[in-house]
Amino acid sequence: MSGQTLPLAPVRQRVALLWVATAVLVLTSIGLATRQEAAHRADALRQAEAQTDVLAGSVSAALAFNDTDAMRQSLQALMRDPRVVQAAIYGPDGARRAQLSRPGVGAAPDRLTAAEALPTDRGDVVARPVIEQGQQLGFVYLQTTPESLASLVGRHTSLIVLTLLSLLLLAVVTQAAARLADANARLSEEIEARAAAEDALRQAQKLEALGQLTGGIAHDFNNLLQAIHGAFELILGKAGDERTVRRWATNGIDAANRGARLTRQLLAFSRQQKLELKPLIVADTLAGMADLIGRTLGPSIELVFDLDEDRLLVMSDPTQLELALMNLAVNARDAMLEGGRLIIRTRKVDHPGDAVLPAGRYIELQVVDSGEGMAPAVAERAFEPFFTTKTVGRGTGLGLAQVYGVARQAGGDARIVSQPGQGTSVIMLLSEASAAALAAAPKAPTAALSPSEAPAATVLLVDDDDAVRATVSAGLEARGFRVLNANGGEAGLALADAGPDIAVIDYAMPGMDGAATAEALRSRLPNLPIILASGHSDTAAVERVLGGAATIMRKPFDTAALADAITRVLRPDAA
Amino acid sequence: MAAPASPVSAKGSDGVRFVGRLTRWTAVAAAWLTAFSAFAASSPPGAAIKAAYVTKFAPFVVWPPSAFAGPTAPLVLCVQGDDPFGAMLDRLTADQRVGSHPMIVRHLARIDAESGCHIAYLAGSPAQSQAAAIRALEGSPVLTVTDAEADGGAAGMVRLVLVDGRVRFVIDAGRAGQCRLVISSKLLALAAEVRR
Repeated sequence: MSGQTLPLAPVRQRVALLWVATAVLVLTSIGLATRQEAAHRADALRQAEAQTDVLAGSVSAALAFNDTDAMRQSLQALMRDPRVVQAAIYGPDGARRAQLSRPGVGAAPDRLTAAEALPTDRGDVVARPVIEQGQQLGFVYLQTTPESLASLVGRHTSLIVLTLLSLLLLAVVTQAAARLADANARLSEEIEARAAAEDALRQAQKLEALGQLTGGIAHDFNNLLQAIHGAFELILGKAGDERTVRRWATNGIDAANRGARLTRQLLAFSRQQKLELKPLIVADTLAGMADLIGRTLGPSIELVFDLDEDRLLVMSDPTQLELALMNLAVNARDAMLEGGRLIIRTRKVDHPGDAVLPAGRYIELQVVDSGEGMAPAVAERAFEPFFTTKTVGRGTGLGLAQVYGVARQAGGDARIVSQPGQGTSVIMLLSEASAAALAAAPKAPTAALSPSEAPAATVLLVDDDDAVRATVSAGLEARGFRVLNANGGEAGLALADAGPDIAVIDYAMPGMDGAATAEALRSRLPNLPIILASGHSDTAAVERVLGGAATIMRKPFDTAALADAITRVLRPDAA
Repeated sequence: MAAPASPVSAKGSDGVRFVGRLTRWTAVAAAWLTAFSAFAASSPPGAAIKAAYVTKFAPFVVWPPSAFAGPTAPLVLCVQGDDPFGAMLDRLTADQRVGSHPMIVRHLARIDAESGCHIAYLAGSPAQSQAAAIRALEGSPVLTVTDAEADGGAAGMVRLVLVDGRVRFVIDAGRAGQCRLVISSKLLALAAEVRR
């Protein structure tokens, strides 16, 4: 599971947005109310002005003829409007002629001069001259009441209620969003913590699996060392007897070869090894593993081989194929705790082609157990890396993934046929290799010592391991090479002037490593051929440093193979 | 008051005294009445108020355009006959304008359609009675004004009347209309009576 985080920021943003919305709502409401209020006041003033104008128009005759009754009648009509609290009429001389006031309102001005009669804007007071045919007959005066608070609130009730409701709603939503953001943050933290825990667990599982594998192999390895050790003891004891020495030396070499195979599996397991595809015959590889598989399964499981006789070639990495078989065997063993039967079968099939595989001829490698089987949901995911049904420490979930990877790299596919209680069949379909590919494969180097064919070449041997250097040096000298020994990169550079024809450099060395040493040597002797010997599997890194110009020997190697490689490099035509 | 003529003479000196007292009271009352009448005739509601009224009709009347020689031609207020107002009208109309027309006062013994008047107060005179003046102005756009107390029944278009001791006016809108005069509804609203 990747360190996926929930989209936390947008939730926080949403909360912020809600606050902004609240502020906007409040401001808008206030703005709206203010505007409405201003409009209302303007309206009220306009209305008062209109009323005053009407009064001024209607009282002109009464004013002209000083008809107080008529004036009072006009004023009374005006006072029917509850907003008008006082109205008065003044003569052209400014003296008040008539007035009407509501209780509690002070008297209108006694006099109104011309200047004051112009439309004053005290807000609630309006005065207008009374003019008829250009003749100013007097003034009218009107006072309206300022609006009461109750009326003001009443007018804005809908807006106030709406705003309050919206605020309430917003508050609820904001709170919910804030809670969601908090929950989201907590969830993200938990997910991160869980991802970290899963990473740690996976690492632990891998280490544990490695330990398990290492432990299993250590037993075999001890046996091999025992065999090698015993062989050397016997050789020491019978150094003069050539036949005995030969026999025990052969035994020792066999044991060492088996050890090398084991270490390759370990490296393959650690997934650091590059796949080396070459044509092989599956049946042969399987036959060579019969003992190993048998030991893995234990005595309670019957092992049956059913191998084809067509001896078809496939392109695959033998080490990886072996490992795949081991993985399948281990899985089968774990599925048959009560014992059972494991059938390993190969046969030729002509596949019609489907979504995954092109049509063609394939080798079908079946590993069939009589174990507990799998549910469809498990079978569906069985090839996923790290998918495992085994308890912690028992499996890494990499086994079937590796099987699938090998099959796909060999131009084929892997499939599972299983039912709970019906056992499991894992089927690897491997593409048939052409005969031409087989012919192009390099032949195994000759193991025999042949000093006479060796060129009189000088080899600069750089290796920090004294024992390895001594053995290899002795082996090369026995084949007629002159060897310049250096125990590190600096020492090797110091010997550059001695005129080596070729350099054999160990890759993994403290300080100046093989790649750096090779580069430094090349800068002094640009045409110096270089062979890098690597016990480390990261050949890709070596190639990256030196390009394709270096030959790489994978440790452990035969001295004979190294001698052959040197010969090939120095005299390409002779190989 | 017929009370003093009641049969009380048989009562002798008491009766005589009573009659004497009554006579005295009657004399006092008569004197008061006379004094009041005199007061009423010479002071408000009297000539001053009537004079003011006469000058104030102009803004509420619309004359046909042909009535004026030009936009700034004067609005002529004529007083026909025996002018009861003296200098009051001249004082009241000094500097007064109606629209763009300055108001002037002209005193005439006789009046007719050619006199150039816009408003004519018909006071009447032996030379031309109010009725004759009204006839002379028949059909002309001249607002005729008479005083009910003095016109002897020959009413002008506007007739000043006394109602409850206050000077009011009666308007004959029909006749004014025939003479192409339009009287403002504001003025009509103030009238004691409007004839159509």
